Amino acid sequence: MKITGFLFKARGAILALMGGLVLLSSLDANAIPIFARQTGFKCVACHVGGEYPQLTALGRYFKLTGYTQGDAKNIFGELTTNLDRPPFAVWLQASKQWYANTEPGGINGNAPTSQFDAQTVSLFTGGHLTDNVGAFIQWTAAKYDPNTTVSFGPMSNLGWAAGIDNSEVRVADHIVNKSGDWIFGAYLNNRITMSDVWNTQENWTSDWIGYFNAGFNGLVGLAPSTILQGGASQHNVVGLGTYLYKDKTWYAEAAVYRHVSNGPLSVLTESTAANSAPALNNNLYMRLGYNKEWGPHELFIGLHGLYGSGDPYGQTYGNGTAINGNAQVNYNAFSLANPQAVWQDTGIDAQYQYILDPHYFAAHARFTHETIENSSGLLGATVANPVNMLNEYWLDLTYIYKAQYGAMLFFHGARGNSDYYAYGRGADNTGFRQYQNGSIVAGNGAYYGGSANGSPDWDSIMPSIFWSPYQNVRIGIMKTFYTRLGGTTGNSITNPLTATNVNGVTTGNSPGLSPSAFNTTMLYTSIIY
Amino acid sequence: MKNITKIISLSAITLALASCADLGSNPTHSAERSRNLNNPAVAGETYAQQVCSTCHGLNGQSINPTFPNLAHQTKEYIAVELHELKEETRLDPKAQQFMWGVARNLTDKQIDQLAEYYSKQPAPINTAYADPKLVVEGKKIWQEGNLSQGVPACSGCHGENGEGAANIPRLAGQHADYLYKQLNVFNTDYELVNDHKDIQSEMELPGTQENGQPWRAGNNGAVMELMAHGLSDEQKMAVANYLQTVR
Repeated sequence: MKITGFLFKARGAILALMGGLVLLSSLDANAIPIFARQTGFKCVACHVGGEYPQLTALGRYFKLTGYTQGDAKNIFGELTTNLDRPPFAVWLQASKQWYANTEPGGINGNAPTSQFDAQTVSLFTGGHLTDNVGAFIQWTAAKYDPNTTVSFGPMSNLGWAAGIDNSEVRVADHIVNKSGDWIFGAYLNNRITMSDVWNTQENWTSDWIGYFNAGFNGLVGLAPSTILQGGASQHNVVGLGTYLYKDKTWYAEAAVYRHVSNGPLSVLTESTAANSAPALNNNLYMRLGYNKEWGPHELFIGLHGLYGSGDPYGQTYGNGTAINGNAQVNYNAFSLANPQAVWQDTGIDAQYQYILDPHYFAAHARFTHETIENSSGLLGATVANPVNMLNEYWLDLTYIYKAQYGAMLFFHGARGNSDYYAYGRGADNTGFRQYQNGSIVAGNGAYYGGSANGSPDWDSIMPSIFWSPYQNVRIGIMKTFYTRLGGTTGNSITNPLTATNVNGVTTGNSPGLSPSAFNTTMLYTSIIY
Repeated sequence: MKNITKIISLSAITLALASCADLGSNPTHSAERSRNLNNPAVAGETYAQQVCSTCHGLNGQSINPTFPNLAHQTKEYIAVELHELKEETRLDPKAQQFMWGVARNLTDKQIDQLAEYYSKQPAPINTAYADPKLVVEGKKIWQEGNLSQGVPACSGCHGENGEGAANIPRLAGQHADYLYKQLNVFNTDYELVNDHKDIQSEMELPGTQENGQPWRAGNNGAVMELMAHGLSDEQKMAVANYLQTVR
């Protein structure tokens, strides 16, 4: 079937179902039929219940041995695979969102829902290159900018801006001898945590479909994440790592990531907006883990960490004009030329899986403790705290029946110490604005959100259900509830509709917004071929 | 902290580069440790280590009962099944999900080597929990059959201790869950072929699917359709539990 015809028909079917495709440039997950073509496996062999991105033991093995298993043609054309297996796969996603706050002109714009539409398309290639080298390469084109969802509601049109997405090249080997079973290798990729095979790290948790949820996007200061788990480094860093997996039990990994904007390696960061993600200096990423299988059960417990420096904020937060007596300085968005913060992120994570058809169950938990040393140059004329601490948590539960019917429940949030300058910021696409007890202390952009008391604490719950009538199609609905944002469970989040801006000074914020104003419901469909 | 980070970072890069260099410097390594399933030069033993072991275990003893134990299985049975999987005449869901892809390009020689490899592995001792009551009931069916439903004693073909013979598989120590599901696969085949004539009459050829293949788990297992049909779910579970305990 021609792809164009397929997509056209698929779109019609989706419209009929009011399903939507979604995507995510962070597209954190993907069943790549290209791998299925190479291995001959169905999705369910490598993914829990057939639902990407969660990997089974077999999927982990496939990735750790460098995407090499199977019979794809190598780069020299030797010992080939059938030419009727296309070396590309296409993933189309569409969705429709409903926002909780529907006031005209309000935090979600004038429209309480997004338009149902195709939102992202990804193209995959990769797989077996030689017996020891394989790749996972993804490009994604996004029709809308998810970062505008919160401030301006239903997504400004990007016109299918395309760029590189999760991409990785691995070289790996597997040796069995009297001393044991050794899998080891090295990788070059463009996102911290992309190397994860236990789905506990940010890049491969299963909330990927929530990309267009209001709350996770643009809520500067309201729902902060650690540098490691924030996904903020995606695709504008390049990392070189090495790993070892012994006896399917002990795992160790170390990698170095840094921001790359030119030179040969910048092919891995192509088209990623340099000003949209933190600029990282050399950062060390490490993991250690213990894995145990018994019967249909599998348990993993591990440590993870990221240690380094960079510019984590990057916003242009001043125009040189003094506000409230504080001189405002202009910085370029996200640049290593800006003042830098130093951070240490350390955490523990775990996975449990029960896989025995027709029941597929998985649970993942993660706790990451971050200390981040700021400087006055980073956050403004004043530093509230020289060192901030943030504890981020993640927990997910997945159950899938007969690889067709599934339900998931996610819990995500953080706790940390208050800092007006780090977290008291609202943002839009013209800049950001900093609040302190409801008053602007910095910034000249329009102003939405922002923690009123400088607290980074937040909690969210995301239940979802989905149906896969066929392994290449998933239709689902998910809801994101925010029970705490910006440190409050009440209605004290700065509300642009009730705040008054006079000469750069905001007065009045009553009533403010409550966390539930950011709740989002989403219907989605994804099709991969 | 910064210095420590630097030192570890440099070590990581060095290790990464070293592993690349090592792999690149060994051109003969390919066939010895290849996971390329379309290379006639790769030995069956290599596949057993590099590919099959992920699910079936290095010694043919699997951990997750989704995957059958292959250790000490009869050589003939493994070969027959690999040929059926390669030819896609074995149609049960797990065969399609996992094994069609693995087997699709195996050569006769590789199949023979794989069969030899697993048949030579020590017999599995399955210590997973088996329901004692079901074990007793299962043993009775194993030894006496379920004659009222036309099921003869299983041991008649599979051997007194489930050791198998030629293309009749060894079942001793096999995972109960796997055995139960396979019995249900046979039963489904029976029903498709024998019970649903009304549905089949709408098909061009009764009892066949689109590609002309019969709807069954595999030709080698066709004789089991009647046996599985003659056992209740509990009886299937009982036999499966019993066999798991046999050594």
